[in-house]
Amino acid sequence: MISLALFVLLGLALLVLLYLFARRGDSGVEGGAAALVDARQALTCLQTGLLPAELVDRVFNEDDWRFVRSKSGKRVQELFLRERRRIALSWVGQVRRQVLGLKQFHSGQARAYARLDIRTELALALSFASLLALCRVLEAVFYLHGPYAAPRVVGTAILVAGKVCIVSEQSLAFLEPGGAGEIPRQSPGGASAA
Amino acid sequence: MVAKRMDVQKAAQDLRMRTLATLPRTLDRFIYLASTRDYNTGMYYHDGLSARFSPEAACEALADCHREAFHRLVAMPMEQLVNEMEAYIASQSYPRDFISVWKGLQPYRVAIPVKADPFSAELLFSNFRVALAIVEERLLPPHHSKQAA
Repeated sequence: MISLALFVLLGLALLVLLYLFARRGDSGVEGGAAALVDARQALTCLQTGLLPAELVDRVFNEDDWRFVRSKSGKRVQELFLRERRRIALSWVGQVRRQVLGLKQFHSGQARAYARLDIRTELALALSFASLLALCRVLEAVFYLHGPYAAPRVVGTAILVAGKVCIVSEQSLAFLEPGGAGEIPRQSPGGASAA
Repeated sequence: MVAKRMDVQKAAQDLRMRTLATLPRTLDRFIYLASTRDYNTGMYYHDGLSARFSPEAACEALADCHREAFHRLVAMPMEQLVNEMEAYIASQSYPRDFISVWKGLQPYRVAIPVKADPFSAELLFSNFRVALAIVEERLLPPHHSKQAA
């Protein structure tokens, strides 16, 4: 009698597990596509909207401040510093959000598409952690001391973000036509059509 | 597709050589190109260019040149932006009214290309505000600019 109850319990547990695995598989496909799209958008936003050298240079180069300081009154100087601090905070906030998006992609879906070796994965994890920490430091520094207080930290953040973008680019390369890591398309019969 | 792109490039080159050549400053070009766009549809129109090429090629060429002017303005040092704005305002009939309208209505907000990167747009708007304040300070005495603000 006891053994029968155990078998029934075991059977029920297996059924529950089967159900959970089936649900996970379903959401994985949908979630995977959404994660890929989000990651691609985050990468594009970083590469074209936030990290281009001329844009970062415009925000953090002190030449503009020197010009404003030498050619205008106190009211305009205050306006400039207020505006530039707001822009710097907006920049670092957006970088952090996009990097978080890429991190979620790498910790969730990337393994299924890009075969990164363990050293690359560890280096990437370290880069994400340090980049997110740098962004928090920059937010505090910009808020307290203005946009020109930590040029080296800005430079380091851009460098690390650039590395993260390169690895993410490789992980998402299969999305591009003829990408290096393109997933082979399956024919209805299961044979690779690529 | 390639032939179409070639047409657009030729139209853009023609636009630069003829119409835009008469507008040496980037800010003037930017405002002019934005004014060739229908605010309802986002399509650009230029009769001469459409006649020489095609309406589609003209539209694409104008959009390309508009994006180009936008990116140049975003990357422009503050000193140069102030100089361009000062010259642009000086070319207007009523500089004081111009400053007042640009500060109040901020018409430059609708002058950016349709798919402009949001952060670049934010930076440009911010730079416009500062440049406008500098020009205002130069053109108007301090007590007057306080009243206008």
